[in-house]
Amino acid sequence: MDESNVELVGFYLSHRIGLLAVSVLFMAVVLELVRRSHLKERYALLWLAAASCGLVVGLFPQTVVSFSRAFNFQYLTVFFVSSFLFLLLLVLVFTVVISKLSERNRELAQEVALLAHRVTRLEVKKDGD
Amino acid sequence: MARILVIIPAYNEEATIVSVIADIRAAVPECGIVVVDDGSSDQTAALVREQGEAELLALPFNLGIGGGMQTGYKYAARNGYDIAIQCDADGQHPAGEIMGLVARIEDGTADVVIGSRYVADSNYQPSLVRRIGKSLLSRWINLFIGGGITDTTSGFRAMNRAAIAVVARSYPEDYPEPEVLVILHKHGLKAVEIPVQMRPRQGGVTSIRPHGAAYYMVKVGLAILIDIFRSYAPVGAKQ
Repeated sequence: MDESNVELVGFYLSHRIGLLAVSVLFMAVVLELVRRSHLKERYALLWLAAASCGLVVGLFPQTVVSFSRAFNFQYLTVFFVSSFLFLLLLVLVFTVVISKLSERNRELAQEVALLAHRVTRLEVKKDGD
Repeated sequence: MARILVIIPAYNEEATIVSVIADIRAAVPECGIVVVDDGSSDQTAALVREQGEAELLALPFNLGIGGGMQTGYKYAARNGYDIAIQCDADGQHPAGEIMGLVARIEDGTADVVIGSRYVADSNYQPSLVRRIGKSLLSRWINLFIGGGITDTTSGFRAMNRAAIAVVARSYPEDYPEPEVLVILHKHGLKAVEIPVQMRPRQGGVTSIRPHGAAYYMVKVGLAILIDIFRSYAPVGAKQ
């Protein structure tokens, strides 16, 4: 382990490399999912934003380190707490999305029932002519 | 003569649906009857078609009582009915009382008339726990609707055009009856209740199971609080 590097930026080099590798890999996976139309751009943006944060921290660790020191946290703690908050936000966004979808689903089902009834009546009327 | 529609939401009610429809037809010969089949897996829809007395709205899958009921009200609104009555498919709501509800709409007493099981000369005897729960819920709701309704969970009610327009747009998903009162009140509509002699359920099972009662109380209690602050699109606006 390069201890002088830790002194310099307050971040283990291995952690920086790990973070950068995971962020780049993650971005690649997300972009590929969008390319294959398995993931909508709208939701991909959230993930890309998260991966970008990882990249920024990996490239400029001083940002997180000075923040951690100011609040007396280990930088890994800051990393995990912010990841956790991000995931919470994501789950909240998803439950909002699900609520909207289930609302539309209900309206669609009701329309299907009302229209099917009209079609049946029109068919009966037509046969009667 | 007002055009009257009786809405019967049905989920697996093959044991009773035919006799319920026949009773309504006998009591109110001129009315429209619509059965909303909420994705039943039994013979409910087939029996209604075979009988030929009621229109059938068949939902493609189960939406729950709120979504089913609202389908009926949408049908009422789109087909220009003056009065809609909702009536259970299990035979609890006596068809002979329908015109009693309608009369109070027609004389302009209220926009919504509820057939109540608690008013003086009714014979409804629920269990103690259920009585306490319903009483608490009723008090809570009456705080927000200006009082006057004792049986807030009764699903036997009649609505005029103004009320139909509101519920066709906004209807709660599950355990809707008490919440609907709050929504209608927020739209400036007036509800009254009249005593009705309910019958024991003729078949099928209640949708509110004992262990669901706590959920019922909490869900409805909170939902009402939220309804007070919710903004509704004006009636008549495009959906």
